[in-house]
Amino acid sequence: MKLAILGESAADEAALEILVSKILNRPVELVQPSLRARGWPYVRDILPSVIKHLHYQTEAEGLIVVVDSNDSTIHDPSHDSEGHVPTCRLCELRRVVKHTLQHLRSVEGRAIPRVAIGLAVPCIEAWYRCGKDPQVTEAVWIQARKEGRFPYTCNGLKKAVYGTDRPSLTLETQRAHEEALRLSNNLDLLEQNFPNGFGALIRELHSWMHQANSTSQESES
Amino acid sequence: MIKRIKFHNFKVLRQAELPLERFTLLVGPNGSGKSTVLEALEGIRRKALHPLSVLTAGVPISSKTYTEVRLEWGKPFEGIATVARWHTSAGTFSISHIQITPDAEPPAADPIRAQLDSLLARIRVFAFHAPSIAAQVKLTPNAELADDGSNLAAVLDRLRDEVPERFEALNEELHRWLPEFDHILFKTPAEGVRKFLLRRQADRTPIPAENLSQGTLLALAMLTISYLPSPPPIVGIEEPDRGIHPRLLRDIRDALYRLAYPEDFGEKREPVQVIATTHSPYMLELFRDHPEEIVIAEKVGNEARFHRLADRPDIEEILQDTSLGEAWYSGILGGVPQEQR
Ligand SMILES: [Zn+2]
Repeated sequence: MKLAILGESAADEAALEILVSKILNRPVELVQPSLRARGWPYVRDILPSVIKHLHYQTEAEGLIVVVDSNDSTIHDPSHDSEGHVPTCRLCELRRVVKHTLQHLRSVEGRAIPRVAIGLAVPCIEAWYRCGKDPQVTEAVWIQARKEGRFPYTCNGLKKAVYGTDRPSLTLETQRAHEEALRLSNNLDLLEQNFPNGFGALIRELHSWMHQANSTSQESES
Repeated sequence: MIKRIKFHNFKVLRQAELPLERFTLLVGPNGSGKSTVLEALEGIRRKALHPLSVLTAGVPISSKTYTEVRLEWGKPFEGIATVARWHTSAGTFSISHIQITPDAEPPAADPIRAQLDSLLARIRVFAFHAPSIAAQVKLTPNAELADDGSNLAAVLDRLRDEVPERFEALNEELHRWLPEFDHILFKTPAEGVRKFLLRRQADRTPIPAENLSQGTLLALAMLTISYLPSPPPIVGIEEPDRGIHPRLLRDIRDALYRLAYPEDFGEKREPVQVIATTHSPYMLELFRDHPEEIVIAEKVGNEARFHRLADRPDIEEILQDTSLGEAWYSGILGGVPQEQR
C-alpha cells in the first residue's frame, strides 16, 4: 500500500512503517519518505499542506500521523459523541483532516487520501515499554493525572528505552526498529494498554482494510 | 566543570551570573553577552598559556572600580574559584585560584593549582569559518583544530594514523549525516602538506574541500571535534548551527551531546563541558527536554543578564501549547532584540 508517514524523526518513521505494515498485513511503500513535523503544534499546522501535497502530487493512498500527547487531554470515546474536544490533540488533528479533505479538489483517477491518526501517551517511548513495564499504560497515566501526579515522564521513559534521555538519532532509530518489530507480534497487548491513542490508529487502519475488502467484493460480484 | 561564571564590569556583563551545566545553550539577541562569555574564556585560556597576554575589559577601570570574571568550579574542584581581575583599562589582568568555601582543598596547594592552570590552558573556543576549514595545511606534530576550524586536514590525518577505528566511525557518521559522501580522503599537494577531499558515493569522485559547500564543511568540523579521542575539557562553540540545514541540526545536537555526555554514546573518555550559542529557534527546540541546559541572555539598557529557562516556574505550562522555539521568538521568554518604538 502506498503510504506517507508524518513523524517527528527517522526513528518514528521506522517504527510506524513496521507497525502499520503489520496491522494492514501488507507491505507499505513509502511514497514520500522523510516527511517531518517538529512536534506539537507544528504537526497540526503543517497537516493541511501535507495532505494537499500528497493528493495533488503523489500516488499516496493514505497518511499516517502520530503525535505525542505530552500533558494534553487524552482522547476518549466520549469525545467522538461530543464532537471535537479542542484540548485533545487527536480530536484537533481529526478536525483539521476533516476540514482539509472536504476542500480538496478532485483529481482524475485519484481517491481522496485516507488519514490515520495515533496519539502516543505521553510519548512514543511509552509504546516501546509495552510488554516490558506493566505500569506504563494509558490507564495508569490518566488515573495519575486525575490525581495531579505524573506516574512517569517522557525523559524517564527515554532513559528506560535508550538507557539515556539524550539518545543519538542512530540509537533512537535502532531501538525504535527493534521495539516495533517486537510489538508487531503483540499488537493486541499494545491496543489493550493504549486503547485510545494506539487504539484509534489501529481501528482506523482496520476500517481501511474493511473498506478495501468490501470494495473488492462489490467489484467481483 | 565550571558551575557558574560571575561577571563584574566585564564589557556588557556589568553584573551577571551564568549558571552552567555539562552542556549549556545560550540564546539571546546580538550584544546580549553570549559571545562575551566565550571571549572571556578565550582570554583566560590565553593568559594561562602566555602570562603576558592581555584582554581589554571594555569598561574604564579606576581606583574605585574593578573588573572581575570569576569561574566557580564544580567537582573535582568544588569550593574553588578562579578569579581573573583587571587592574587597568589597558587590558592587563591577573589570574588566581581562591578558596570560596571553608571545607575546600586549599587552592594554594601546588598540585591543584597546576591542575587548574592546565585545565584553563586547554579551554578552547571555536567559531568556524568554512574557507579556513577547507584550507590545505602544513603537517605538524600533534596538530590541533584552530579556533576558526583551520588545520582540519591535519587533525583528520592524525586521527586516521593514530586512532583508525575512530576515523572509520567518523566516516560512517559522516555518511549518515551527508549520505552524498561516504569517505574522507587525503591528498599531498607538496611535501608535508595535506588537504582533504570527500568522496562522492554515487560516482566515487573525490570532491576537494574547497569545492564543498559551506554547510558540509561546518558540519564536518563539528563532527570531527565530537570524535576526537581526547577533546579539550571545556569547549565554547559560536553558533554550531550556522550554515547547517535545519534537518541536520539533530545531528549537530548529537555531536554536542557526544562531547558532553560521552557515557551516553558508548565513549570511555572524560566529559567535555560545552557552552554553545545559537540564534536558531530550530536549534533551541531540540533542547526542549532539558530546560536546565538553556540560558536566555537578555539585554536591559546597557547591561546583559542571564537566566536559566528551568528557573522559570511556569515554563512547562507555557510549553504545553507551543514550541520552545516559537515561545522564544514571540518574546515571552525574553532574549529578543529591542525594537525602536
Ligand atoms: Zn479526543
